[in-house]
Amino acid sequence: MINDPLTVITLIPILVSLALLILPKLSPSAEGLARASRAISMGVSLGMLAITTMIFFGEIGNVDWSNYNSGYYLTNDSIALIPSIGVHWKVGADALSFPMIWLTTLLIPISMLVEWDAKKGHLFHPLILMMEGALIGVFVSLDMFVFYAFWELTLVPMFFLIMIWGGEDRKYASMKFFIYTFTASVIMLIGILVMYLYTPDVASSGSVTGHSFDMSVMISSTEFIPSEGLRHLVWLLLLIGFATKMPSVPVHTWLPDAHVQAPTAGSMLLAGVMLKMGAYGFLRIAVAAFPESTVVFIPLLIFLGMASLFYGAWVCMGQTNLKRMVAYSSVSHMGLIFLGIATMQPLGIAGALFMMFAHGIISPLLFAVAGAFKHHYHTLEIGSMRGIAHHSPWLSAHMMLGWMASLGLPLLAGFVAEVTILIAFWMSFGWLVLLPTLTLIITAVYYLTSMQKTIFESNDPHHGILPDTLHGEEPRDITWHENAGMIILGALTILFGILPFIFWDMMSEWSSGFLLETLVQAMQSEGVKP
Amino acid sequence: MGDNKSESGLLVYIIPFLAVVPFLYAMGWESHDASILIVAVPFMTFPVILIVGQVYNGEEFWKSKMKEGGILALGALGASLSAALWLVYDYVDSLPNFDEQQSVTQWLEWVSFDLLQSDYTLTSGSKILGMGVWIDSITLMILFVATFLCFLICWFSLGYMNTDPINEDRNHRFYGEFVLFALGMFGMVLADNFLWLFIFWEVMGLCSYLLIGFYYWKDSAAYASKKAFLTTRVGDVFLMIGLFILYDIYGSLEFSVIFHDPSLNGSVNSDKLFWALLMMFIGAVGKSAQFPLHVWLPDAMEGPTPVSALIHAATMVNAGLYLVARMVPFVDVGHHGVAGLEDLGLIVAYVGGITAFMAAAIAFVQNDIKKVLAYSTMSQLAYIFTGLGSALWFYNNDEHHAAAVVFGSSMFHLFNHAMAKGMLFMASGSVIHEVHHAHDHLHHGHGDGHGHDFDPQDMRNMGGLASKMPVTATAMMFGSMSIIGIPLIGGFWSKEGIIAETWLAALEHEPLMYGPAILVLLTAGMTGFYMSRMWFMTFAGVPKSEVVEHVHEETPWIKMPLVVLTVITAFGGFAFALLGATDYLSSAYDYSGHLKLHKSTLLDSILYKLEYAFLPEKINLRIVGWVTIFLSFIVGPILAARIHGGKLSDGESSTPFVSWLVSTSSKFGKQDVSSLSESELSVALQNRLYFDDLYEGVLARTVIPFSQFTAWFDRNVIDGLVKQIERRSVSGSVQVRRLTTGSARDYILMATVGMLSIIALLWGMNT
Repeated sequence: MINDPLTVITLIPILVSLALLILPKLSPSAEGLARASRAISMGVSLGMLAITTMIFFGEIGNVDWSNYNSGYYLTNDSIALIPSIGVHWKVGADALSFPMIWLTTLLIPISMLVEWDAKKGHLFHPLILMMEGALIGVFVSLDMFVFYAFWELTLVPMFFLIMIWGGEDRKYASMKFFIYTFTASVIMLIGILVMYLYTPDVASSGSVTGHSFDMSVMISSTEFIPSEGLRHLVWLLLLIGFATKMPSVPVHTWLPDAHVQAPTAGSMLLAGVMLKMGAYGFLRIAVAAFPESTVVFIPLLIFLGMASLFYGAWVCMGQTNLKRMVAYSSVSHMGLIFLGIATMQPLGIAGALFMMFAHGIISPLLFAVAGAFKHHYHTLEIGSMRGIAHHSPWLSAHMMLGWMASLGLPLLAGFVAEVTILIAFWMSFGWLVLLPTLTLIITAVYYLTSMQKTIFESNDPHHGILPDTLHGEEPRDITWHENAGMIILGALTILFGILPFIFWDMMSEWSSGFLLETLVQAMQSEGVKP
Repeated sequence: MGDNKSESGLLVYIIPFLAVVPFLYAMGWESHDASILIVAVPFMTFPVILIVGQVYNGEEFWKSKMKEGGILALGALGASLSAALWLVYDYVDSLPNFDEQQSVTQWLEWVSFDLLQSDYTLTSGSKILGMGVWIDSITLMILFVATFLCFLICWFSLGYMNTDPINEDRNHRFYGEFVLFALGMFGMVLADNFLWLFIFWEVMGLCSYLLIGFYYWKDSAAYASKKAFLTTRVGDVFLMIGLFILYDIYGSLEFSVIFHDPSLNGSVNSDKLFWALLMMFIGAVGKSAQFPLHVWLPDAMEGPTPVSALIHAATMVNAGLYLVARMVPFVDVGHHGVAGLEDLGLIVAYVGGITAFMAAAIAFVQNDIKKVLAYSTMSQLAYIFTGLGSALWFYNNDEHHAAAVVFGSSMFHLFNHAMAKGMLFMASGSVIHEVHHAHDHLHHGHGDGHGHDFDPQDMRNMGGLASKMPVTATAMMFGSMSIIGIPLIGGFWSKEGIIAETWLAALEHEPLMYGPAILVLLTAGMTGFYMSRMWFMTFAGVPKSEVVEHVHEETPWIKMPLVVLTVITAFGGFAFALLGATDYLSSAYDYSGHLKLHKSTLLDSILYKLEYAFLPEKINLRIVGWVTIFLSFIVGPILAARIHGGKLSDGESSTPFVSWLVSTSSKFGKQDVSSLSESELSVALQNRLYFDDLYEGVLARTVIPFSQFTAWFDRNVIDGLVKQIERRSVSGSVQVRRLTTGSARDYILMATVGMLSIIALLWGMNT
């Protein structure tokens, strides 16, 4: 197991974080560990980043990503965990998951860095480390049971992050976050269990139930579900689980509350990676297992995508809280992922994958900026301050870059995803593209207005108008560690905007293979023209 | 403020930048390989300026030796200029033949992908959206204009920006964004496909936004920058849709693929293509500030004056024109174009005609010197749109000769206008700067309250500056003459062609063309009036405030660009016209070379041009030409002189030409127009014909309430529903608790019911 890097990057963070959280409680002699836990967490997360980066440079050129069925990067055979019900430890990464894994290992140290001075750091940083293991586990596991276990495990550290380090209303927000997404996951679990019950008999491998949670078996065996109605039903159950996580209108309202109350690092991870779990699971399980249902429900996907995108943008514009606005903008942008998948073109699906990645580096930047406002100006109310650019030039610069990236400015990462999805969307649906495209104007309006009302216009070149919440304190710019984190994110946004092919090529190849091997047949049988 | 001599020593720091191109040449590079430097050097410089400027803000070396980044910016732009000149030198006489032209060099493969075709197979070979370089005569001309003006205006900024105390410790932002803008403009001109044209187009939009908002603390600047970004964004979104449609039709956005056969052997649906081009044109309308998306440009004058000169007059606003010029192959029925797109030409011409007339009318009543120039910019760009509209119309009707003439004239007008307007803005900047400086000087020691009610941009505070600022007065005079179209100077050579050919279309082919034709003809006279008015108000007559007495032309760095551009404006238009600039520029789409516009010898060419300018063969064109000259040269300026002209104070004098003009201006009598300026029309014009009020009113009444409603809806209806469920389930759980009766019989009942339902479910699944 030790020579399998994916297993290592999944388990090491969890084990280390458990050690850091529990050992100091057990023996007083381990108190030194508590003091060092911040540095240890950072060191471990940087090690994980180094490993994933090395995998990227070492392996990426040798893999044919378009071969969907064997494109997994696997280093060992599966290990039986609970053989009686067919649960195995089986991990792998392909072009759908690898960018997400790398993104996770990247965002963890950055979010630790941004909140380097968090209170109760001996708990805070290990919790984030645990988050890393859980998130990577979701993306690497190829066993549905393990997948679900990690899926729920991500809730635990996030729950505590909101509960302990959150804002004034943290209890309500953390409970809502937990119960809401947990309910959706349970609905998804029902779908998974139905799929499980229809897997072919593998009793010979020691499974008492005769079924297996092996993802490849479950997905390829969907024809064992005889009734079309039941297939659609399972697809819808899965959709509810995944759409809530993404989140899509109308099951999105947990997100703004969770974001507004969450600490900066929590928000960054929530928006950066956790939301992508929804889109990832949707493609990995729902679309892959039920291509026909996906094709049948294309109108539903378009409706959900359009609703999230368009409605989300309008709601953004009506917000007066900076972090709430940014949270709703995530809802809006996630809508594009559904639209990209609905195009049934490799271009659109690759665009959706790139959106997952691009949004994963842009939205943490947005939340880091919003968090810095909260941290240094003690308010998130748009319009309670003016001319902040004078006092916090770095913060304002990061705000400008992040906001511009999020509204889809070319040469920044978000644009690549937007333009490819929309080109594919036009090719499939023609003038329907007007709505998502016009939404880009609304997006620009709310972002620009929020900047105008915070960093611009104090009418005094030497002073900004400071919020009351500062109580006469001297306004400051962001700290060095906040700045460092934001600079890294900003630089990556520019890098992937100019050189998107670093990840785009594998995503594009994967999308072509995925489409050919799963969806094309369904499209033909359902009579959907490309 | 150091003296000029010691500061010019700073130029030594730009030598390493300028050495790059010669070094590469010595290394055996080709000019098209080095073309990437035109974009790459600014790209590497701008973050350095921004970050170093922020970190070392206020340090002595950075401030006095680097001019807060200005020297680095100048160096980077110098490197771009030298690489561009190399490219121009290499290609100016040996343009690739249109039909054989491929992208000269490929820089970047951006994204590659497959497409699912209608037979459910993937396209063979990945489609690629990448960045390469396309070179033809238009590219070379605009590239030269952009690199040259960027360099000169950056030079000017060293004097203009760094001597104003309000900019102290902020200039690195100005220079960083300036260089980023330059990158966008150069990239847009070089791009070999519509997608990258759009990408760089947006980069320019960003810089325009950032630089208009340079004085971020001013309400007006913050508002204007937002307005500019959003208004152009509306156009950009439509441009994007246009690109989607184009991609759908051709499966590519590269010029070399599309232009090879835009009709795809006659299989292209002209309606679909019309929509694509119309959508793209809306983008051009936004970027070039044409009616009805024109409202942002006058407000954009909130930015520092060098920005107005560069972005909002000389370069970025030309992007829309450039885009429309790239539409010619689609409609050129003489060369695989698609027939039936005349309407596009008409629409373009009408938008141009209406904007030209409207902007000129509004310019009549502006008192802010920069606003006059802003409206003049709109009006002149509209001329070019009218010309391009006629060109598109002619190309689509296979009138190849007329099309080539008006297309070449339009492109040449772009050149003339960019040079003249860049200079006019710099000159106005010089005026504002010195008046402001004089005002500060005069009121120094009066305490803090000074300067709040004095507007250094208001021409009503000026007058008589000709003797105080002779260089600026001369520069501005030639610039105005070029814009007006005084015979033999700059814009005359191009404007005549546009007006005459638009009239030709109206007289001989399409009666609907009378609209734009009449509008541009009237505008010619109006241009004569408002430009003369601006010049006379500023430079002629006696000073209208005591500040003027203290004005001196002394700021370093400012004069050189003015002098260079004065020379180009005064003689360049003439020289280039006689050398056949219009023919050269239209040769971009002269595929077969059958036009034979190039005369055999230089002398023939010169004689032909002179004859064509004043005595074209067709009698009605001759009449149009002379009417234009009469209106713009005689009527407009004399009316302006009667209202605003006048002698300088006794004993004051200026350069000979300027002195002559000032004294002439006093000889037409004096007319009082104060009653006219209070008329309803005048008030409406002063309020910009209420377009801004209209847009704002509509948006404030619809967008904001609707967004507030959706936010309310989300919080109270969608989330309210969730909260309802939550409340119900809390009370429901109380009910559930009652079920735990403790009686075994109840539990067995419940277990049975549960079991039965599971069995029923499984049974239902299996059937």
